[in-house]
Amino acid sequence: MKVNITKWSSVSTWHWDVNEECCGICRMQFDYCCVDCKVPGDDCPPVWGTCNHAFHMHCILKWLNSNQQQQCPMCRCEWQFKSDQK
Amino acid sequence: MNSNVKKLGITSTGGIGAPNKKTLVIKNFKQLPKTSDTFEEDSWNKLLSAIQSIQNKQPTIYTQEELYRTVENLCSEKLYSNLYQKLEFQIDKQTERSLLKLVNQTGDIITFLHLINMCWQDHTSQLIMIRSIFLCLDRTYVIQNNQHLRSIWDLGLYYFKHYLLKFPDLVRKVNIGLLENIQKERNGDRIDSDLMHSLVKMLTALQIYNTFENEFLIETDKYYTIEGGQYMNDNEVPEYLKHTQDRVNEEYDRSIRYLDPSTKRPLIAVVEKQLIERNVSNILSKGFNNLMVENRIEDLSRLYSLFQRVNAIKELKVAFGGYIKQVGQSMINDAQKEATLIQDLIELKDKLDNILELSFSKNQILVYSLKESFEYFINLKSNKPAELIAKYADSKLRSSNKRMSEDDLEVVLNKLLILFRYIQGKDVFEAFYKQDLAKRLLMDKSASIDAEKSMISKLKTECGTSFTEKLEEMFKDIDLSNDLMNSFRDSNQFSSIGIDLNVYVLTGSNWPVQPPSTVELPVEFKEYLDVFSQFYHKKYSGRQLKWQHGVSHCIIKANFPLGKKDLFVSLFQTLLLYQYNDKSEFTIRELQESTKIEIDAIKRNLMGLLNSKTDILLRRGKQKTQPLELDDVIEFNSKFQHKLMRIKVNSIQSQETAEENKKTNDAVTQDRQYQIDAAIVRIMKDRKALNHNTLMTELFTQLKFAPKPVDLKRRVESLIEREYLGRDPENPMVYIYLT
Ligand SMILES: [Zn+2]
Ligand SMILES: [Zn+2]
Ligand SMILES: [Zn+2]
Repeated sequence: MKVNITKWSSVSTWHWDVNEECCGICRMQFDYCCVDCKVPGDDCPPVWGTCNHAFHMHCILKWLNSNQQQQCPMCRCEWQFKSDQK
Repeated sequence: MNSNVKKLGITSTGGIGAPNKKTLVIKNFKQLPKTSDTFEEDSWNKLLSAIQSIQNKQPTIYTQEELYRTVENLCSEKLYSNLYQKLEFQIDKQTERSLLKLVNQTGDIITFLHLINMCWQDHTSQLIMIRSIFLCLDRTYVIQNNQHLRSIWDLGLYYFKHYLLKFPDLVRKVNIGLLENIQKERNGDRIDSDLMHSLVKMLTALQIYNTFENEFLIETDKYYTIEGGQYMNDNEVPEYLKHTQDRVNEEYDRSIRYLDPSTKRPLIAVVEKQLIERNVSNILSKGFNNLMVENRIEDLSRLYSLFQRVNAIKELKVAFGGYIKQVGQSMINDAQKEATLIQDLIELKDKLDNILELSFSKNQILVYSLKESFEYFINLKSNKPAELIAKYADSKLRSSNKRMSEDDLEVVLNKLLILFRYIQGKDVFEAFYKQDLAKRLLMDKSASIDAEKSMISKLKTECGTSFTEKLEEMFKDIDLSNDLMNSFRDSNQFSSIGIDLNVYVLTGSNWPVQPPSTVELPVEFKEYLDVFSQFYHKKYSGRQLKWQHGVSHCIIKANFPLGKKDLFVSLFQTLLLYQYNDKSEFTIRELQESTKIEIDAIKRNLMGLLNSKTDILLRRGKQKTQPLELDDVIEFNSKFQHKLMRIKVNSIQSQETAEENKKTNDAVTQDRQYQIDAAIVRIMKDRKALNHNTLMTELFTQLKFAPKPVDLKRRVESLIEREYLGRDPENPMVYIYLT
């Protein structure tokens, strides 16, 4: 017998390319959006600091806005957005 | 009073049976010579002879006109006092004479009724004639002295009543006769209702009807007390109800035909009390469930209307609710009938709705009782009914459900939604619905996207936006994927693949996902997916794709020795069949080693290929019924034939596995724990310190499912361990929120 595939309906799920499972601020998994958003997607991406800690973009912006010191909430080093990310 | 011309407008205002209104106009009559000595006596003699003629039923010698004038002349001479006394004496004596004839009357009581009725009829018609002669007396003397004189008509009634009561047994015999006749009629004989009517009128006119009415109602009460007991014993409930209805109608009719109108209400009340009210619990316990089981619409509506008469709807409610709970409970607990449970419940609801509408005129108390009873029994078994409702929806929304029109489908879904409304564990429904919806969407098994969307909007109306948000996101993912595929198909990458590749890219958190499977794909398969991945990463950087191979499916072309076929198979089946491109037999162990598909999934997928209708593969030397073993040899069927060109082998893929079922249930349990934790923290943060019982009460009102107290206690302990809460050192039953 010889079988050959002609049509394939494949299914995949997309996930952010993040090492950590959860956002260090809201504690939600990155597969979910931040508490202020409704659905995960490009509107609520993760971002990295130079210290390599990742947060929802909305979460870290909110954090930086409400704190005098611009520090990473995880490691207290000075916060700077990692530049090689999109 | 000396004027020559008189114009009198006389209107007779007698009692019952009085002559009609008439006007007498008398003009220009000569002044009679002043009274002679014999004037009064002559006049009276003339009148007396007329009275006697009337009483003997003979014609009078004088004209009516002449007699009338005679009275008028006596009155104008103010001789009316004598005249009145003489007339009264005549009426008195005559009445005494005629009623005396009825005393000691032998013969049966019915004959007596006829005689007394004749006597009464004669009495009143004579009275009317006498009054028309003596009208002037009524109009002058009686009116002037109406404080202590009776009108002529009233004189007649007065003496009739007087002698009726005075002579022994007359009234008693009238009452007994009437009651006997009524009893005869109740027992089915025909009686003379005109006679009854006339005698009742007599009693009313003489104002002695009350005595009769009292006796009549007592007799009626006795009659129906006996009948209510006996008929109930001797007959089935439907007959009893019908009989009672007939009795009520009969008595109503009787009251119209010959009783005084005022008797209707107390009479019907007696019948209702003895035949219905006293037997309410007998009727319900003896026959209600049967009527419900046999769907006896007509009997039930009779029962309802009779019960309504005696305000027994509350009792009916208890029986109705009890019946529903009993039937529902046994359906829910019958594990054998799980497969048809939802269909059976829909049918039960339809039947009950029909009874409510046709028999119980949609009585709100009973409508509520139905709702309450369904809510009670459907939640006796936690989670299972919610799961089955979701699966029923799936069976209707699947493309395999082809026979149903869109309209019929709407009707069924609406009915299903009503059952859904009764359920407490809506999260269980949601979890299973989501699971099934995912399969319908990903495996192209949905009968109609319109029907899918309509169901979602129903759920939204029922439970609010947050309930359906995730479900709606699933549809959005499908739409996004379709757009993505359209641009992929237009790309150069797509044409390089050489097969028709379709990829759904889903947002992981919206879908019930399986753990990623680590299967071994043929090299060219990996290349296909890589081509797509590169295309995808260009559009969406910073993302990675995880493949859900378990729900993936394919069409493959197979060259069998006896012909070419297109096979609709799961990806796993494809991988298995690809093995046979090189060799014609493998053990299951070998198949597992080369494909890396998990063993349970291999067995499940092989079952579809070993199926007697689609036996592309054969198991060597074993009965079909024996379970698959790792060392079983599976060989290619070189004699495979099938009448169709395109063969579906992957139905197994869309069926739920026991493992999936458990996973879905576990996910619900897990989610409930989160919800309990969140609710406890929310309440405690707000209240700072609470004793155990108050916290429990708060939780029961806030949580959307019915939690078990044990589970709540366990969650509190877990939160204490994790130091969200502490115990009050003074009182261990009081929890404190720790910041
Ligand atoms: Zn966050
Ligand atoms: Zn956000
Ligand atoms: Zn950091």
